[in-house]
Amino acid sequence: MSRLETPADLEKLREEIIAGRNAKEKWVAVCAGTGCRAYGAETLADAFEEEIEKRGLSDRIGVRRTGCHGFCERGPLVVIQPSDACFLGAQPKNVPAIIDKAVTGEGATDKLLYLDEDSGKRLGNLDEIPFYKYQKRVLLANNVRIDAANILDYIAVGGYSALAKALSGMTPEAVLEEVKKANLRGRGGGGFPAGIKWETTRKAQGEPKYVIVNADEGDPGAYMDRSLLEGNPHSVLEGLILGAYAIGASEGFIYVRQEYPLARTHAAKALEQAREYGLLGKNLLGSGFSFDVKIHRGAGAFVSGESSALMSAIEGRVGEPRPKYIRTSEKGLWGKPSCLNNVETWAYVPQIIDKGADWFRSMGTEKSKGTKIFSLVGKVKNTGLVEVPMGIPLRDIIFKIGGGIPNGKKFKAVQTGGPSGGVIPESLLDLPVAFDELSQVGSMMGSGGMIVMDENTCMVDTARYYINFLAHESCGKCVPCREGLRQMLAILERITKGWGEEQDLDTLDELAEFMEAASLCALGQSAPFPVASTLKYFRDEYLEHIREKRCSAGVCTALIAYQIDQERCKACGACLRACPVGAVNKSEDKVFTIVQAKCIKCGACYTACPDKCRAVIKVPAYTIQNQPAAAATLPAGKQ
Amino acid sequence: MDASKRRAGERAETQPLDVLIIDDEENFLEACSQTLQTGGYRVATAKNGTEGLKLAGESHPNVVLLDLKMPGMSGLDLLGQLTKTDPSAVPVVVTGHGTVDSAVESMKLGAFDFLTKPFEPEKLLETVRRGLSLSALKKEAQAAGAAEEQRHDKYDLLLQGLDVLGEAYSLGLEKRQLLDELAYLESEARYHAESLGQIKKKERAILDIRNELREADAIMKKYDFQKNALIQVLLDIQEKFRWLPRHILSWISGRLNIPLREIYVIANFYEAFSLEPRGRHTIQVCTGTACHVRGASETLTRVSAVLGIEAGQTDSRQQFTLETVHCIGCCALAPVVQIDSQYYRDPSRSKLEKVIKSLEKEEAQACLA
Repeated sequence: MSRLETPADLEKLREEIIAGRNAKEKWVAVCAGTGCRAYGAETLADAFEEEIEKRGLSDRIGVRRTGCHGFCERGPLVVIQPSDACFLGAQPKNVPAIIDKAVTGEGATDKLLYLDEDSGKRLGNLDEIPFYKYQKRVLLANNVRIDAANILDYIAVGGYSALAKALSGMTPEAVLEEVKKANLRGRGGGGFPAGIKWETTRKAQGEPKYVIVNADEGDPGAYMDRSLLEGNPHSVLEGLILGAYAIGASEGFIYVRQEYPLARTHAAKALEQAREYGLLGKNLLGSGFSFDVKIHRGAGAFVSGESSALMSAIEGRVGEPRPKYIRTSEKGLWGKPSCLNNVETWAYVPQIIDKGADWFRSMGTEKSKGTKIFSLVGKVKNTGLVEVPMGIPLRDIIFKIGGGIPNGKKFKAVQTGGPSGGVIPESLLDLPVAFDELSQVGSMMGSGGMIVMDENTCMVDTARYYINFLAHESCGKCVPCREGLRQMLAILERITKGWGEEQDLDTLDELAEFMEAASLCALGQSAPFPVASTLKYFRDEYLEHIREKRCSAGVCTALIAYQIDQERCKACGACLRACPVGAVNKSEDKVFTIVQAKCIKCGACYTACPDKCRAVIKVPAYTIQNQPAAAATLPAGKQ
Repeated sequence: MDASKRRAGERAETQPLDVLIIDDEENFLEACSQTLQTGGYRVATAKNGTEGLKLAGESHPNVVLLDLKMPGMSGLDLLGQLTKTDPSAVPVVVTGHGTVDSAVESMKLGAFDFLTKPFEPEKLLETVRRGLSLSALKKEAQAAGAAEEQRHDKYDLLLQGLDVLGEAYSLGLEKRQLLDELAYLESEARYHAESLGQIKKKERAILDIRNELREADAIMKKYDFQKNALIQVLLDIQEKFRWLPRHILSWISGRLNIPLREIYVIANFYEAFSLEPRGRHTIQVCTGTACHVRGASETLTRVSAVLGIEAGQTDSRQQFTLETVHCIGCCALAPVVQIDSQYYRDPSRSKLEKVIKSLEKEEAQACLA
C-alpha cells in the first residue's frame, strides 16, 4: 500500500476499506485480550475460521481477533457484529451453534448468554448485560471493533481523522487550546491538566522537544493501559502525534513495561504500519510536520513510572527520581522539554480533537470531565475493565456493574489508586468517583485500579501488603521514604503477628506525616496513604489484632490456626492429599487431625475441604493448646 | 616464564621499535608518541600510508596504530597490505567519531582492536600494552613452530589455538583465567606436550566465549552501539542467555565505553536482570493486589510445593525458575500464574503437575535431538 500524501488520500482509503468490509454481512469478534487468551481465545478463533470455511460462508462472515472487551471474568468473549449479540465463556465445541445463531437466528446457545439472576432471564445483547449497560464506553468502545494488528481496522472506525483534521485545518495552538478547553486531566494518577502541561513544554526553552507515553503501568491491580495499548494501539499513537504537533516535538517515546510483551508487540506493529502509510515519519499527510516514535522497554522497576525516573531510564540510566524544582515538562529527557502523559490520556486526545472539547465537557463532573477506565477486580462478581463517566457513585460501579460481592459475603472496603491510594469503607460508597472527591477521603484516582475487598480481607494485612510492596520498590535515594517504609513495615508485621502495642498506632501516624512531608517523589509522599486510610476507617481491626491477638478476617497466619471439626468431617482425606508438608494426621480409625507443630498455615487443606462439609476451620491461634503465648515469642528488642 | 620480564628482555635486545603510529594529523601523532614514550615505549611515526608501510618493512614494529581516514592510501587498504608484509605486527585501528561500522570492518581484516577518537591516554597505553603482549606470543609461537618442522601438524594446531586465544584476548578479556590459558598454551608450544585433545577442548571453550561475544556485538549493533541503549541491550542479553554473564558485561563495558561498575548498578536495580543463570522456563506467581486478596499466597505455596523450589530460586538442573511478580496485569483472572508466556487462572495442583511434566518432556526431547 502506498503512502498517504494528503488528508484526502486518507478519506479515500477509508471509503475503500469500508466498502470492502460491507461486503461481509457479519463479523465474529473474538476477544484476544490477555485474559481471554488465557481461557483459550486463540484456539476458539481458529475454530471459528475453520467452521466458516467448512460451511463456505467465508464471503459472508469474517472473523476478527480484537482487543480486550472488558468482561474478563466470563471469557472467552465472542460478539457477533453488527447485532452485538454477546456470548460468554464460549468453547470450540460451541462454535457451530454460535454460527447457526448468527446466520439463521436459531442455535443452542442459551447457556452462553448472560443469566440475569434477578429476573432469571438470558440476556443476549451486549447492551442488555448489566456489566455493559451501566458503562459509558468511549475509549474502550473500539476495542471490540478492531484487530490491533491491523491499521485498516482502526482507519475504518474513523481512526486518524482527528490527525487529518488537525494537520489540514488547525494550527498547533488551536489543538492545544482545544485540549485545554476540554480540561483533560492526566489519567495516570495525579490528575494534572494535560493542556497546561503541554503548554509548559511548548513554551519551554530548548530543542528538540519530546513527547512520551507512560505505559509503565506499575500499580498492582490495574491493567487498563495494557488493554488499551494491546487492543487499540493506534488511538494512543494518534494522540501522541497530535500532542507532538501541538507542542512542537519531533520525537516521541513509548515506555512499555517489560511484563507486557503483547502490548509491546502491538505497539511496535502499530508504529511500523503508521510509518508505512506515512502517518509517522517525515511530512505527515503532506503537512510538512515530521514526527517519529521509538519504543523503550522498561526493565521492571515500579519507581520508574515516575516521570523523572522514567526519563532517566530512557537515557539508559538507573530509573531513580530526581527532585523536581524544575518540572520535566521544562527540563526532562536529556535536559530538554519533555511532555509525559499516561496511555489513557493520550488515547483521549484524538476523540477530543475529532468531536470537540464541548463533547468531552458534556461528560463528568464540574472539575473532572470525561470518562475513566477502571479495572474492577478483587472480591467482586464481574471482574473486568469498566469505563464510566466521572462522578458516578462507587456503589454503582461495584454493585450495578460489578454485580456485588460473590458467595454472599459482605462488602468491607474498596481500594483505589494503587499503592499510593487508600481504602474507602462502606459508609462512603455513595461518593462520586472523581479526582478531587477521592483525594478528600484519603484515597486517590490513581491509574484506575479498583480492588474490592470483602469480610475475608484483613485491613491490617492489606496495609502491610502495600507497605511491603513499596518498601521493596523504593529506590532508597531519600531517607524518609526508605527508612520510613522500613519502620512502617516492621511495625505492621509486628501487629499482624500479634506482637503489636497500642502506641505503635501513634508511631504509624507520626511516620506517615513525616514521610508525606519530606519524601523526594510521589512514591514516598503517598506511600503512607494505605496505612493512614486503613487506620482512619478500620482502627478497630488494628486494635483487635493488638488487644485480642485476633484476626477476624482469618488472614494473618500468625493469629490463626487450622483445625478439623470432627463433627463435620466425612473423612474424605482431601486435606491429607492437599497438605504440602504432611501436617494432616490420619489415625487408625480414620480420625483426621492437624499437627500444629508441622502446619505452615498455607491454607491448602482449607481450600481442599469440600464446600458441603467445611470441616477445616480457622480458629484464633491462642485457642490451640501447646501454642506458645504470642507475646512470649517476641525476641527481646526485636524491631 | 614471567610474561612481563620476557617482554622487557625482548624489547631491549631484538625489537628496537614497539609502536608505529600512522596518521595525517600532526597534533595527534605528537600527542600519542609523547604519551607512549612517557610510558617507556619506543615509538616511530609516519604521516601517510606509503611512508608507514615502508617504515614497517624496515623496523618490524610490534604494534601499528593507524588512522582509517587518510589522504592517499586509505586505512583499510593499508591494513590489508600491512597484514601481508608483516604478519607479526599487531594492527590497532584509530577511527574518528561515528565510524563504528568501518571499525568493525577493519576488525574483520585482522585489526586487533580499535580506538575511537578522542580517547584517554590510559586507554591508549592499555591497548598498546595488550597489543605488545599478543605480538610477543605470536612471535614466540612462530619461532617454536619453525624450529620443529617435523611436528608441524601439532604446531599448526597450537598456533590455531594461540590465534583463537589471541582473538579472545584482543576482545579485552582481562580475566585471570584467560591469562592462565595463554600461559598454558605457551608452555604446550614450548615443551611439545602431547595432549592435543586438551588443547582442542580449550580451543572449543574459547571459541564458545568468542561466539557469545559476537552475539553480544550483534545485539549492540542493533542499537548502533549507542550508550543510552544499555538497558535495551541488557534486556536482549538477558533474554538470549537467561542471565548476564560477567565476561559479556565487561565486553559491553569496553564496547560502549561505560564503566563496568555502572553496568552492575543497572543490573542490580532493575528486576528484569539476573546475575545468576535462570531456568529455561520461568514460572511467575502474581502477587499483585487483586491476586493477593484472592489468595495468591496459597497459590504460591502450591506452586512451590510442585516445583520443589522457593520463590526466587532456580532448580539444580536449571529447568525452572520460580518468581513472584507484583502484578502482571491480568487481574481479572486472579490469582494468576504465568508459565513462560501462558497465563493460568489459579491452577490446581494436578494442573500444575501436568504443565510442568509436559515442559520436562519437551526438554528431554530437545536434549535427545
